[in-house]
Amino acid sequence: MAKPNARPVAAGATAAKPRSAVAAWFDHHLQSLVASLGRMLRKPWATLLTVGVMAVALALPLGLWLVLENVARLGGTVEQSREVAVFLKQEIDPARADTLARSLRARADVASVTLRTPEQGLASLREASTGVYADAISAVGENPLPSVLVVRPRGDERSLAQALQALPETDFVQHDAIWRDRLDRWLGFGARVAWVLAALLGLGALLVVGNTVRLDIQSRREEIAVLQSLGATDGFIRRPFLYLGAAYGLAAGALALGLLTAAEFALRQPLRALAESYGSRFALDAIDPLQAGLVLAVAAALGWLGAGVVTGHFLRQTRA
Amino acid sequence: MTVLRFDNVSKQYPGGQQALTDMSFSVNPGEMLFVTGHSGAGKSTLLKLIHLAERPTRGAVLFGERNLRNVSGRGVAMHRREVGVVYQDHRLLTDRSVAENVGLPLVLRGVRRDEIRKRVRSVLDRVSLGTRADALPTQLSAGEQQRVGIARALIGEPALLVADEPTGNLDPTLSAEIMALFAGLPERGTSVLVASHDLGLVKRMKKRVLVLDHGRLVDDISPEELADG
Repeated sequence: MAKPNARPVAAGATAAKPRSAVAAWFDHHLQSLVASLGRMLRKPWATLLTVGVMAVALALPLGLWLVLENVARLGGTVEQSREVAVFLKQEIDPARADTLARSLRARADVASVTLRTPEQGLASLREASTGVYADAISAVGENPLPSVLVVRPRGDERSLAQALQALPETDFVQHDAIWRDRLDRWLGFGARVAWVLAALLGLGALLVVGNTVRLDIQSRREEIAVLQSLGATDGFIRRPFLYLGAAYGLAAGALALGLLTAAEFALRQPLRALAESYGSRFALDAIDPLQAGLVLAVAAALGWLGAGVVTGHFLRQTRA
Repeated sequence: MTVLRFDNVSKQYPGGQQALTDMSFSVNPGEMLFVTGHSGAGKSTLLKLIHLAERPTRGAVLFGERNLRNVSGRGVAMHRREVGVVYQDHRLLTDRSVAENVGLPLVLRGVRRDEIRKRVRSVLDRVSLGTRADALPTQLSAGEQQRVGIARALIGEPALLVADEPTGNLDPTLSAEIMALFAGLPERGTSVLVASHDLGLVKRMKKRVLVLDHGRLVDDISPEELADG
């Protein structure tokens, strides 16, 4: 009995033996990849323009993100060197201040505590002062300065500052958190700008690839129609364009990394000179290999996606 | 089992144009027949329905026992691999050699390269183009290009070969060559359905003829009736 979907077969037919599905699949993927690369190389200027536009679109948010990473690192460095100054009440003598310093060192949120006695404070003031101020200091008979504990925080310095302020021995705490808050907010804003830029320019890159692939599809419309009439599946038609999109993305990602490296190279020396003039050893951090790999993967995925959207749209249009 | 059967098939295009109306006929294994009629009679639509380039509005087109109405997605591509098609304008890929054009249907099926080479040689010999395997289609005459198109349609050894005005651009001598080629296919088990408006050619072939007029099948003439005039 014939199967419900039984199809006629030519009497003299000697069916060609297909290879295993995996071998055929692999072979066609390889052919599609090679054909796509060949198509890119045959049109070097068009390829260069597409890759160039994509690379700039990728490099802009990536560059901004790198700057933010470096600023955050700089902020982190400053944070580590920041100290909370605890001015003790006038009646607290150095011995008691030393006891308090020892107890504070035992706290988990304290990295270190340095005691500055009134004598040390006065000596520092004398060193730093000249002229009328030095005379005024000499004119004061009794040392008016209190003991000061210089606390270097570990972890959340705000809660530590509040805890230090609550101590009965504390007169007041000098802890300028405002600048840190502002820096954090600027960094947060910058990060959001980088994400928005990345989304917009990523969409732009996707559209650039999509448009390039669309033009390629248009120029090969007849060939595609022939292949479809011979029984090419959507996957067979789509595959070379997906590879083309991914190859554009990969090349654009590599070019974007090259542009960023060149920019970093150009800025390195003047920035070092600037940092040194402030007594800092700050230097720009370049993109690391893992991040570079991620950039390449994302760029290739963008190209693949752009090509996939356009090819899918085209194939839907050609369906009977 | 018939190779192809149309059961009360009608086709109306979205614009409202009625291309086919209640058409019924069948094609037997190893049969060659012609579909003829004036321009706009519905010949091309009929071929498009067989090749799933269009869908019927009503009725059923059966390929073997498979109702083509139920074929969709990947099934469309699989169906097209089982029907050889020859076009009036050849539709060859001009940047690929004759051998590459002819081997395309086997590439789509994932056949091994050495097997493809062997079968391409064989089918090119059948259409007398064995020496032109490496030529580009643009280097061939119109008749040779048409034979390449036929070789491409035959390489998959389809049960049914449909041809849309295959001699439309050819002179009478070349037309006769192409028709002789088609006439030899049924004995190898391939049914052949040729759409042509060239009545002289159709009569000379002395095969079954379906006559269409304004989308209706108005006559189904057997070879014997044709021979009787």
